[in-house]
Amino acid sequence: MEGRAVVVGVGESPYYKRGGASESEFQLACIAIRNAVEDAGLTMADVDGFASYMDRNEPVRLSNALGTGDLHFTGQTFGGGGNGTAAAVALADMAVSAGYAECVVVFRSLAQGQFHRYGQAGKSRRAGGSAAYTAPYGMLSAAQICAMQTTRWMYDHGVTQDSLAEVALACFAHAQHNPRAVRYGSPLTREEYHASRWIAEPFHLYDCCPENDGAAAIVVTTAERARDCAQPGVPIVAAAQGLAHRGGGAAFTEAGFPTAHYDLVARQLWNRAGVKPADVPVAQFYENFTGPVLMAIAEMGFCEPGEINDFVANGGIQLGGRLPINTSGGNLAEAYIHGFGCVVEAVRQMRGSSTCQVEGADLSLVVAGPGFAPGSAVLFGRDS
Amino acid sequence: MTTTASGPLPDDWTLPRLGRVNTEWFTSGKLLIQTCNACGTRQHPPEEICHQCGSMDLAHTELGANGTVHSFTVAHYAVNRALADAVPYAVVLVALDDDPSIRIVGNVIDADPGEVHIGMPVRATWVERSDENGTVLLPQWVSR
Repeated sequence: MEGRAVVVGVGESPYYKRGGASESEFQLACIAIRNAVEDAGLTMADVDGFASYMDRNEPVRLSNALGTGDLHFTGQTFGGGGNGTAAAVALADMAVSAGYAECVVVFRSLAQGQFHRYGQAGKSRRAGGSAAYTAPYGMLSAAQICAMQTTRWMYDHGVTQDSLAEVALACFAHAQHNPRAVRYGSPLTREEYHASRWIAEPFHLYDCCPENDGAAAIVVTTAERARDCAQPGVPIVAAAQGLAHRGGGAAFTEAGFPTAHYDLVARQLWNRAGVKPADVPVAQFYENFTGPVLMAIAEMGFCEPGEINDFVANGGIQLGGRLPINTSGGNLAEAYIHGFGCVVEAVRQMRGSSTCQVEGADLSLVVAGPGFAPGSAVLFGRDS
Repeated sequence: MTTTASGPLPDDWTLPRLGRVNTEWFTSGKLLIQTCNACGTRQHPPEEICHQCGSMDLAHTELGANGTVHSFTVAHYAVNRALADAVPYAVVLVALDDDPSIRIVGNVIDADPGEVHIGMPVRATWVERSDENGTVLLPQWVSR
């Protein structure tokens, strides 16, 4: 693992239901970052870089408020939202591996109780840009966008509503072991899933990520520096970001519709890592909605689209199954911190400290937000 | 063909903002697809540059009004208070029969949400709508 960037710290704020946080979003960011730095056995003066995606909490303010060392790197990704979750980790990997910075915090803080709710949309007199082709028709939310993609994908490949349910059921089952999870102590049955109200067909309530308040962070540093840290370093084996040729068309005109935008990410990630999907024993798939998770599982190469019903059935994506996913409860049942909880959980799987630990796991995958481009993914390994 | 039937959304709901490349699409009452004068490539939505050859000399080609529902969703949750009485409503993605690579978002204004399905044959119509910024002819769909 010489010369490879490694994760040495993870941290979270408490996770709340929307509106439940007494702390401000900025304070939540500070708490998560402080916890991650402390977890690593480092001090704030060691931190010299920040990376994130779509975050309001500026590194300039964070650096000053937290008392970091001199900053050598800041970076944020372009495009969409949660699809940048793993790409932000890649930014830290690049900065550290190339020697621009030595100790980069990757973080995301999101208090939907204090700012815009992702499940709602404003009403404007006139909508411009790509929204001119969608908003006048009532196509406004991420749920509706992903529903349009999922409806066609289900039709093309014979995917059942029960397969969508499997994603929610896996998340809620895993959350029952995780005291940090907002849905800890609130299990979900298949009957409750099917009986829950529609949000945007084919999505029921439980197909949709909730709105939460919270923050999560990791600390990325060099393998050399990691040797002096409190925790065993978790190497970043490979990361990838991708937008396919003509894949960014507005209003569902992208090449390959319907796509989760993960074919290209998969090709790059598996090539760089020198492993194949079958080698991966545990994965965190960012759930904005259940349907795009199924699309991403197939596009990452774990099965053909036509095999997805069988792949997820009978506990296939739960602990003990062929590919346990979202072992903390994920966005659906742990908390929706714009997917960064998935990164923290993937690192915990490599430390052996998940509340749904996959025994003997030596690789741990994070697939960021599906259905929006560019997609991104990161693969963690074990300190050898 | 234009109509005054407004479809499932409120009469004062959001309209498209007209700009450099989309005015013909939203005011002509025709399916005018942006076409490159240099290489003949069609692209939708319109852009400021041809994605095939890079030319900025762009015109339009009128395509036939028939299309087929390629995908859809039925919105049950009102993401804005102003849509509380409009839900449930269907939003469709229509592929044009003349060129199925051209896909257009809209509503089937004469169908109930439960009637909308993939493969449903539809025909373009135009809904005239105005506000203080002017009038648009919003492309919409009726069943056929």
